[in-house]
Amino acid sequence: MDAILRGAEVRLDVDRDEGVATLTLDGARGVNALRTSFVTALDAAVQALRGLQGLTGVLLESAVQPWCVGADLDELWQVRDPARLREEVAALQRMLRALETCGAPVVALLDGAALGGGYELALACHRRVAVDRRDVRVGLPEVALGVIPGGGGTQRLPRLVGLQTALEVILGARVVSASEALALGLVDELAPDLPAARASARAWLATKPSPQQPWERASGGVPPPVPGSAEARDLALGAAARIVKRTAGALRAPQLALNAVVEGGRLDLDDGLAVEAAWFVRQVTSSEARAMLRTLWFHKRAAERHEGLPHVDDAGVRRVAVVGAGMMGAGLAYLAASRGFQVVLKDVSEAALAKAGAHVTARAEARAAKGGEAATAVLDRLTTTVDAKALAGTDLVIEAVFEDLELKRGVARELSPFLAEGALWTSNSSALPIGDQAEGFPRPERFLGLHFFSPVEAMPLVEVIRGPATSDQAVARALAFCRVLGKVPIVVHDGFGFYTTRVFAAYILEGATLVAEGHDPAVVEWAARAAGMAVGPLQVFDEVSLTLGEHVLAERARYGGAGAEGPGVRLVQRLLHEHDRKGRAHGRGFYDYADGKRRGLWPGLTALGAVTPPRRDAHHVTERLLYAQAVEAVRALDEGVVRRPQDADLGAVLGVGFAPNVGGPLAWLDARGATRAVADLERLAATAGPRYTPPRRLREMAAEATCFFPEEAP
Amino acid sequence: MGAVQVFDAVRTPRGRGKPGGGLYRARPVDLASATLAALVARSGLDTRVIDDVVLGCVTQAGEQGACIARTAALLAGYDQRVPGLTLNRFCGSGLDAILHAAGAIAAGQAQVVVAGGVESMSRVTMGSDGGALWEPRSQWAHGVVPQGVSADLLATLQDVARVEVDAFAAESQRRAAAAQTRGAFARSLVPVLDADGSVLLAEDECPRPDATPERLAALKPSFEGIGRLGLDDIARRAYPHVETVRHVHTAGNSSALADGAAAVLVADEARGRELGLRPRARLVAAAAVGSEPVVMLTGPLSATGRALARAGMTAPDVDLWEINEAFAVVPLNVMRTLGLDPARVNVHGGAIAFGHPLGATGAMLVGTLLDALEERDLAVGAVTLCVAGGMGVAAIFERV
Repeated sequence: MDAILRGAEVRLDVDRDEGVATLTLDGARGVNALRTSFVTALDAAVQALRGLQGLTGVLLESAVQPWCVGADLDELWQVRDPARLREEVAALQRMLRALETCGAPVVALLDGAALGGGYELALACHRRVAVDRRDVRVGLPEVALGVIPGGGGTQRLPRLVGLQTALEVILGARVVSASEALALGLVDELAPDLPAARASARAWLATKPSPQQPWERASGGVPPPVPGSAEARDLALGAAARIVKRTAGALRAPQLALNAVVEGGRLDLDDGLAVEAAWFVRQVTSSEARAMLRTLWFHKRAAERHEGLPHVDDAGVRRVAVVGAGMMGAGLAYLAASRGFQVVLKDVSEAALAKAGAHVTARAEARAAKGGEAATAVLDRLTTTVDAKALAGTDLVIEAVFEDLELKRGVARELSPFLAEGALWTSNSSALPIGDQAEGFPRPERFLGLHFFSPVEAMPLVEVIRGPATSDQAVARALAFCRVLGKVPIVVHDGFGFYTTRVFAAYILEGATLVAEGHDPAVVEWAARAAGMAVGPLQVFDEVSLTLGEHVLAERARYGGAGAEGPGVRLVQRLLHEHDRKGRAHGRGFYDYADGKRRGLWPGLTALGAVTPPRRDAHHVTERLLYAQAVEAVRALDEGVVRRPQDADLGAVLGVGFAPNVGGPLAWLDARGATRAVADLERLAATAGPRYTPPRRLREMAAEATCFFPEEAP
Repeated sequence: MGAVQVFDAVRTPRGRGKPGGGLYRARPVDLASATLAALVARSGLDTRVIDDVVLGCVTQAGEQGACIARTAALLAGYDQRVPGLTLNRFCGSGLDAILHAAGAIAAGQAQVVVAGGVESMSRVTMGSDGGALWEPRSQWAHGVVPQGVSADLLATLQDVARVEVDAFAAESQRRAAAAQTRGAFARSLVPVLDADGSVLLAEDECPRPDATPERLAALKPSFEGIGRLGLDDIARRAYPHVETVRHVHTAGNSSALADGAAAVLVADEARGRELGLRPRARLVAAAAVGSEPVVMLTGPLSATGRALARAGMTAPDVDLWEINEAFAVVPLNVMRTLGLDPARVNVHGGAIAFGHPLGATGAMLVGTLLDALEERDLAVGAVTLCVAGGMGVAAIFERV
């Protein structure tokens, strides 16, 4: 092999006998990301490639893991000027085009994750061979972060696999395994390892394939439907409808991605790439993209790195006990077992344990079917028991019994003698103060809250709550444990409702209050989603049940929080006690359910409102719902419950489903500006109630013209 | 410059607008030229006195491209000095063609115009002309749903029940059958001939006299599937209080696809007298409006209101109405809102029975209206159609 080019980020070698060049991504700074220097280096390598005599083929490999992660978001974040961003995108697209038209067929050998721009690099190749291994994943997840593909993905993928599959991947922000990538056409072949992939690639190159993409050959075309045809139009219409169905129109990223696919698809590739570039710049410079990137990328990364938090490399946890085999307990047991911990699931009820065991089995089998670990291996790590003695040797307990202080204290007292020396006791309570729960616990410094979210396999957030006595060491170990579970933590201080439940309670109660005041419940639900909230307040109130909601509100009052009175609370009580409407699990709440499926809002709801015909003011509903949460977030920050604004926004978005498109409650306040927010809150306090009284911090921010997130580096 | 008057109206029968229908083997240009030729034959006019031929045609692609009005006129034997204009305002086009002619006449730019419309839905599929209306950007801007979803949305907003739209449809079929039986269209219908002079189609073939409310009730809602996939949510974006769209329209209570053409002789009053023609009616007033695009089908209400205001009239002044039956909810909505007597609306049945050849219907309704006014010796009639994209067009005629 002759070395042709040695750059910091890219290497080019050629086997003169075979005429096959190998272009290796070297991952300067450890990661292959499409930062400007990387693109420049690749461009130089591609130019060198084009100058090689007797070239019969090219292998594109990576020397590091992951294979290539796409755009360097730290760098992208700094570019505010649309014209400059357009130039950078154009440079990337030119480089990829030069690779695509270098005159020899190029094979991408994917033995690691190729996501976003990384997969777009692979798309500019003429063949993709993926190693069939769990960590090898491909996809275009840009839309989930509020941006759109900008390296040709919206133009090459439809031309490669057809409009329908391309739209599913791009609009669904799908990231798939190697085998699913093969099924979808995102890769052409699987191989058991990198050497086998190289051999396959060489065998393919030996058949003297065309150095052109199929859609650029004279004989080629694109898979059906033909761009611009009635069928293509119908597919696009269906995709647009599904976007509105899923997002209530709140998110622009999937909309602009669809624009790029449809409008670029009917032109030739170079013009299509220019169409993509224009929509890419439009979206990336939008406030929605900046808000989503800030929270879902930068804040989330900082939380995953445990920035500013106590650290320990190893939590020293091998055996985990989950106490309480309800829905959360079953999910937690599965999660811990699937991550390699020995798990004991404890309950007083054999029936509950059997049901939980069935749930864990089902999850393990489903995961195994998708290429995960064998179900038996997971289940071998799980023991279910009614016997406290089975907790011997437990390093960490997650208590997930009913939200009852005496019950929780009793369980802690009963089980603590059986734990290993130095064991941590964590409570999955969503609201009961850790300090109160830890009363009487022998080692309160090892007692803390780990508030997970349901369904625990899917929801990424964990709220880590420090009690007044909790030690740094306990927090550090709990964080290390959560890292193994794959959760994103925010650490908060103690108080009823911690952080997320305070915001959540404000949201659902405001929804009930609006209905009680006579607002059309259908408008309440739609306006919430159209503002970006993941789920409407009435629907999610039903999910947690009105019973639990009433209970939490009463507890909140006992702890000196806002009173458990007002039209919203009264409406909930009427639904519970006059109409026997307890929530989804009982078949009826704000909504009616049949066979577990939501059938529609209860028609009797509007009659319980203060005004008929019901009011239909979506703007007012949105204001009320968002400000109710935002003012609660500010208060939690003021009281020191939440450490910093980043945690407040991340916790709200990941835990409560707060509108990601505005970044979080505090970012939303920033966007309005403190002056306007104070004015709005004063107006709402006067008309809707003192819960909206602007906190003093906001008034100070208005006076000093400051904000929660000054716009320098994240 | 005097009044704008209508002197004659002819139309082809309406064939089923699908391959195999009665007019499937007739090219759309031949349908149009048949009506143009018939109009001239009946009036005895020298075509050199005709200032323009204006035809509505919606799907102007393929066989309906290239300004079909001009070719139709030439093939009908019109003098080369008669130009042609083809226009598209979707379902309103046939009426809009007449109103365009009237406008030119009233402005002194023309004196005699043949106006009408043509559509062969069996040969040129609806929607095959594409258009930015259906693109994603239109969705994000204002929202677009297929007409059937709009119809169901309107029914939901106006609380119109399935039994009501089915009852309306059954009545349309009954009136159509009665009108056909007594030959109510005899003086307007022009049979369509094949190349060898044999008759392709002489009578409207779409009506289903067997369509009872019971049979209609058994039909599945046509737009529920696409609605549930997400088009209902596009509707909800414009109407957040509508939690669920009730899908009540079926193939039985919506207009049928159809093929057909129509032509109407429009002229300045004085010129018409000069040419020895006998007027049937004068155009009193007209209006075209835009309305909310997602519900799409409420245009007739505002268009009618504006036309009546321009005419210095109110709804009770109108003796007979032709409200296009694109979907049963459309005339039901107009009738309810204006308080119309159903006995005065679509007295010969409507598009639910006869079908709706998109570009032609507006002109066909004018002819049908005049026939019905004359049959009953009534004076004032109104024609209105809902139009895709959220538009409406209406015109008021008075017999002379």
